[in-house]
Amino acid sequence: MKTPNKSRFLLAGLTASALLFASCGGGGSSSIVDSGNTEAPATDGSSAPTAAPTTVATPLASLPPCDTTALDSVTETIDITFWHGMNGDLEDALTALTAEYNASQTKVNVSLENQGGYEQTLDKYLQSSQDSRPEMVQAPEYAVQVMGDTDSNVPVGACIESAAYDTSDFLPKALNQYFTEGVQWSMPFNVSDPVLYYNKKVFEAAGLDPNKPPTNMAEVRTMSQAIVDSGAAAFGLSLDTGADSGGGWFLEQWFAKLGELYSDNDNGRLAPSTKVNFDSQVGIDLLTDLQSLVNDGLAYNVGDNASGQDALLKLADPESAAAMTISTSAALGTVLTTVQGGLIPGITTDDIGVGPMPAPGDADAPGAIVGGASLWIVNHDDPAKAAAVWDFISFLITAESQSTWAAATGYVPVRSSALEVGAIAEKYTTDPRFKVAYDQLLQAADSPASLGAILGPQREIRTLSARAIATVLQGGDVAAALTDAATQANALLSAYIAANQ
Amino acid sequence: MALDTAPKGWRSFARYSMLTIVALFILFPVYTTVIAALKPGNKVLDNPLLPNAFTLDVLKNAWTEGRLGRYLMNTTVVALIITSVQLMTSIASAYAFSFLKFPLKRLVFGIFLSTLLVPLEVTLVINRRTIDSLGWLNSFQGLTVPFIATAFGTFLLRQVFMQIPPDLREAAQMDGLGHWGFMKEVAIPLVRPTLGALGLFSFLASWNQYLWPSLITTEDDMNTVQTGLRHLASSDLDKPNLIMAGTIIAAVPILIVLVVFQKQLVRGLTAGAVKG
Repeated sequence: MKTPNKSRFLLAGLTASALLFASCGGGGSSSIVDSGNTEAPATDGSSAPTAAPTTVATPLASLPPCDTTALDSVTETIDITFWHGMNGDLEDALTALTAEYNASQTKVNVSLENQGGYEQTLDKYLQSSQDSRPEMVQAPEYAVQVMGDTDSNVPVGACIESAAYDTSDFLPKALNQYFTEGVQWSMPFNVSDPVLYYNKKVFEAAGLDPNKPPTNMAEVRTMSQAIVDSGAAAFGLSLDTGADSGGGWFLEQWFAKLGELYSDNDNGRLAPSTKVNFDSQVGIDLLTDLQSLVNDGLAYNVGDNASGQDALLKLADPESAAAMTISTSAALGTVLTTVQGGLIPGITTDDIGVGPMPAPGDADAPGAIVGGASLWIVNHDDPAKAAAVWDFISFLITAESQSTWAAATGYVPVRSSALEVGAIAEKYTTDPRFKVAYDQLLQAADSPASLGAILGPQREIRTLSARAIATVLQGGDVAAALTDAATQANALLSAYIAANQ
Repeated sequence: MALDTAPKGWRSFARYSMLTIVALFILFPVYTTVIAALKPGNKVLDNPLLPNAFTLDVLKNAWTEGRLGRYLMNTTVVALIITSVQLMTSIASAYAFSFLKFPLKRLVFGIFLSTLLVPLEVTLVINRRTIDSLGWLNSFQGLTVPFIATAFGTFLLRQVFMQIPPDLREAAQMDGLGHWGFMKEVAIPLVRPTLGALGLFSFLASWNQYLWPSLITTEDDMNTVQTGLRHLASSDLDKPNLIMAGTIIAAVPILIVLVVFQKQLVRGLTAGAVKG
């Protein structure tokens, strides 16, 4: 694991098939871009520190420029290739939006190229020469640092500045996620966070209130006990150890909920992180708790979530179902379509409840870190191309587009004005399940701890923590597994710092 | 396997029961795949082992939604190019290693063989960069050129060329045949079974390639059937049988090839193995 590229590649190989669908969470930044390269405190007025550079400060001026007026003088259609990782219903929704954009004007024509998933998209992007890269790419949230370090992008911050684009109604958390080193690198597009999915029917059968899901793990335990004792279901909670769900992303979420730093140097915001904190007492308590849920027969571990949906499917297991699971909010649309299609015998769409992700222990800690992916402009030294990509991006983030997109998928709109128009306005009123993920993001505090970590080798570190959690859920020693994973993670961090000095 | 030892009575019964059990194990996943592919989506989880409903719609959907026609064509082109060029390069190099005299022949052959020990994964990153810098991403060159020479084929053919008696070569020389003529008129016809087996192997291997095509294609139009199937796999959760149907469609052509050339395959291998 000497060079980040190689280690990324090898680990990607090891875990390549694990992720088909999951949407992910992690780093962010504590400031929001205001008018270009100034660093304004987060707009909600909380006491967020300014975003210190994670490596060397990269002022916008030293990065490729964006002239959004370059499109005005264009006479021939500009072809834009967009690499994305959206599959299934999500791809259908993206295809529809893109067709709408292509039909709406004649200057830009966008072709979608599905790379199979986030991981494949990122791998191909990182391994390609600049000429082979597309004009636009969708990169997952855990890739902020590595993407920024490729020096291959036109930061959207430059376009925001050039177009004097108004971001005042954007969710600060969504923008901050992709803001580091004083630069708004990319534009949030599909924002998600983990929520609790549960079977209301089972809750009723167990004598629980089907409209009161557990808010923390202590309540998960008592409710699971009631469910198992009453025989309403075989298990209370279905857990998984996928790197982009139960094995990594959720761990970061739980640390953020507790206001605990996931890594040192303020989650990599003051300076690059040199060590992770998941082997601390906080992590040990958290995982001991999960382990005992499994040991007591209250939770079931579905493993590394190879299909991306294993934990959810456990709720539909005809022999030994679980009543609850934690999964990305982005799955909600798919879950409802699937159930609607009659694929799952005995469960209707009304039986599916959605609640906030349970906090660790008996904590009262709503809130979540932003997951999902963002849109990056690739630098091809062609102002017209960059302007064309920006034009498409600004179409994808209009209130109307975000409303359509969120209603079709379960993603959270990136701006509050989207809630007042179109499909999502209706959906959030008629089906409050879709709004849980949105509310969670509003409730989150704005400290470096609750914004989540930004790490260069974040993907690899999630793989390491996922392996540790798998060991723990299979009955292994908690402290030993976490220490081991943390040691390896710290080695990756110092290797990344050394390679990107 | 002479016929006179054909098992009789209970021994034959035991033998066939054993074979049947093993065959059942092997066929079970195939069976469930076929069953699932022929059922409408909402019946798949009902009764996974019973054919309690029947429809051809799923196969049709997999064909259209999965764009399998396009992918199958790509795969066929790639597999045919790789197979035919591999045969040519293998014949030429094996001929050189067995009939020509040149300095450091043994050493060069050793180096040639040692590449058999280097798995694809080791050279993956650098090969991808090379193809990228040549501008061959998303092209048939990119999909085929890295595989047009094979140490395995060279080795296999050299072994059978070595079985050709030197007298034959001398006789041919007397008749005025040069190397080219000897290769064409004598050597190749003699090793035809092995060539057939090698060709079939190359075809199967290139048909089933997944990692390389998945790395160097970014355009949907250049997907091979194996990488194209992945798109079906990561498609909707509510269509679990779509991927089953896609797999079946992808497997049918190769199944036909196998059935047609099975004899060739077995004969070629045994011919190579026991000769001499």
